[in-house]
Amino acid sequence: MKGFRDWYWLVLAALLVAISLVAVATGAVAVPLGNILDALRGRGDPTAIAIVRDLRFPRVVLGALVGAGLGASGAALQGALRNPLAEPYLLGVSGGAAVGAVIAFALGATSDAVITLASFVGGIAAVFVALAVARVGGRSTRADMRTLLIAGVIVGAFANAAIMVALANASPNNIRGALWWMMGSAVDATWTRAGWLALSLLLAGGALVYFAREIDVLSLGEDAAASLGVDVERAGRRAFLLSALIAAATVAAAGLIGFVGLVVPHIARAMGLRAHRPLILASALVAATLVVAADLAARTVDAPTELPLGAITALLGVPFFLIQLRRIT
Amino acid sequence: MSAAACGGDSHRQTDTQRDDFGDPIHFGTPPQRIVSLSPATTEILFTIGAGSRLVGRSRYDLWPDSARLVPDLGDGMRPNVEAVLGARPDLVVLYASQDNRNAADRFRAAGINTLALKMDHIAHFRRVTALLGAMLHDSARAQTVIDSVERTLDSVRRATTGVPRPTVFWHIWDSPLITIGSGSFMSELVEIAGARNVYADINGASGQIALEDVARRDPDFILAGPEGARQINADPRWRIVRAARNGRIIVVDTGMVARPSVRLGEAAVSLAKALHPGLLQ
Repeated sequence: MKGFRDWYWLVLAALLVAISLVAVATGAVAVPLGNILDALRGRGDPTAIAIVRDLRFPRVVLGALVGAGLGASGAALQGALRNPLAEPYLLGVSGGAAVGAVIAFALGATSDAVITLASFVGGIAAVFVALAVARVGGRSTRADMRTLLIAGVIVGAFANAAIMVALANASPNNIRGALWWMMGSAVDATWTRAGWLALSLLLAGGALVYFAREIDVLSLGEDAAASLGVDVERAGRRAFLLSALIAAATVAAAGLIGFVGLVVPHIARAMGLRAHRPLILASALVAATLVVAADLAARTVDAPTELPLGAITALLGVPFFLIQLRRIT
Repeated sequence: MSAAACGGDSHRQTDTQRDDFGDPIHFGTPPQRIVSLSPATTEILFTIGAGSRLVGRSRYDLWPDSARLVPDLGDGMRPNVEAVLGARPDLVVLYASQDNRNAADRFRAAGINTLALKMDHIAHFRRVTALLGAMLHDSARAQTVIDSVERTLDSVRRATTGVPRPTVFWHIWDSPLITIGSGSFMSELVEIAGARNVYADINGASGQIALEDVARRDPDFILAGPEGARQINADPRWRIVRAARNGRIIVVDTGMVARPSVRLGEAAVSLAKALHPGLLQ
C-alpha cells in the first residue's frame, strides 16, 4: 500500500474549500455569482445578503464543523477502543442527547439555546452512566474497555426505548420536530450555534490531538500499553470522554448524523495513515468535506423540500467507502 | 374585533396586538407581496381579495384553483427559509407551531413582517380573517366573509336543534389510529351539524386511540376521507365496530372539511345533510 504524502494535506484542504464555495453559491434560490461576493461583503440586495450571509454561510460552516467533530471523534474512539466498529454515537451519546432534548420539550422549553444545552448535557450524562455501568460490570474500580463498549450500547438502547415511549403519545407536531432532529439537519444553523461548536471542537479536539500519542499506544492493546508504562485506564478514559464531548456538541448542533464517524476514519487509514495525530486531523478534514457535500445535496436535490442530512451522508459515504475498499484489497 | 378571541380584553384599543408566538403585529402600509404557508390562510387571503398579492404558498394550498398558480415553496411546517426569502415577501403568514418558531424568527430577522397564527378552532378563523383584513386595510370585506360563514353555521345549528344527535367517530389516520378531540374545529363542526364526537373527551386537537376502544364507544357513524373509508372497508379488523360492519361510513371531502377556513359553512352543511338526510333542503 502507498504511504501518505505531505501534499495530500493540500488536496484535502483544497477539496473542503472548493465544496464549501460551491455550497455557499448554490441553493433553492438562484443568486448570481457576482451578487454572492457582494452579499458576503454586505453590499447590494438585502434579500441576497440575508440568504448568503445569514442562511447559507453559517450552514456551510456548521456542516464542516459537525463533520470535523464526528470524524475526529470516530478516529480517536476506534483507536482507543481498538474496535473498527466504534463510532461517536456508540457510547450512548446520541440517545442521551435525545433524552435531554425531549425532557426539555416536555418541561415546556421553547428557546433554541435551552434545548441545545439540554441535549448536550443529556449526551454527557449518558457517557458518565455508561462509565459507571462499566465499572459495576467489571467488578472493579477500573472501567475495562470491552465492558465500556457494551455499557455504552446498553445505555444507548435504554435511552432510545425511553424516547420511543415518550414519542408514542406525543402530538403529531412534536413527533415531526423530534423526527427531524433524529434524522439530522443543519437547517437551523446560526452563527451563535456554529461559534459554540467551534469552541468545543477547539478545546476537546485540540486535547485529542495533543493526547494522540497515548491513543497510538492504546491501539497496541491494553497489555502492551501497560508494559510500555502507560496508565491504560486513565488514557482510555480521557480519549473516551473527549470523543464523547465532541460527539455531544455535534449532536446538540445538528441532531444525529450517522455513518460519518464510523466510516471516515477507515477512509483516512486507507490513505496510508497509522499514527493517530495525522489520522484524527485527516478524518476531520475528510468528514467535514463529506458533510458539507451531503448538506448541499440535502437542500438542492429536491428543492425547496429538504432531505434528511443523516440519510444523505450515508448515501454519499457508502459508495465512496466501497471504492476505497476495492483499492485496499 | 380580533380581540374577541382573547376573551373580553378591556384594553383592546391601547394594547399592541400580538400574534400566537407573542410578537407584535404591525399594521402599516398594506402588504403587496404575501407568502402564506398554510392552506387555511391561503383560502382566506383569496376570499378577501388578496389572491393576486400572493407570491408563495405551501405545497398543500390547492384551493381555490387559482391558488395552484401561486409558486409552491414546499412544506408549510419547517418551511424552506431560503425559498421564502427568495420570493421577496413583505408579509409571511404561517401556522404557529413549535416547528415554525425558528423560521418565524429568521423572517423577522430579515426585516419581513411575520404573522404566526393558530388555526385550530372556528374562533381562530374569525380572528385570523379579521386580522388579515385589518392588515390589508379592507376590514369591511373580511367582515362580510366572517358574517356569511357565521350565518351559514347558525342556520345549520338552528336546523339541527332538537333532532336526535347520533354519535360519530372521526377517522383521520389508520396506522396509528388517530381521531379528532374537542380541541379541534372538526369536533365543533360535528356538534353544529347535529351529532356528538365520541372522542370529545380528548382535550387536544387529535389523539391516538385503540380500535377496540372505538368498538366499545360504538359510534353511530364513521366520518372518513375517501382513502380512510377504503382502508376501513378493506380491513377485516374494523368489523368489530358496528358502524363499519353496517356500512355506516360517511365519506367526507377532506380538502373542505379539514380546514378551519372560509368553507366552514359549506362543510357544516354537507355534514348535516349526510347525518340528517332531508333536514336541510
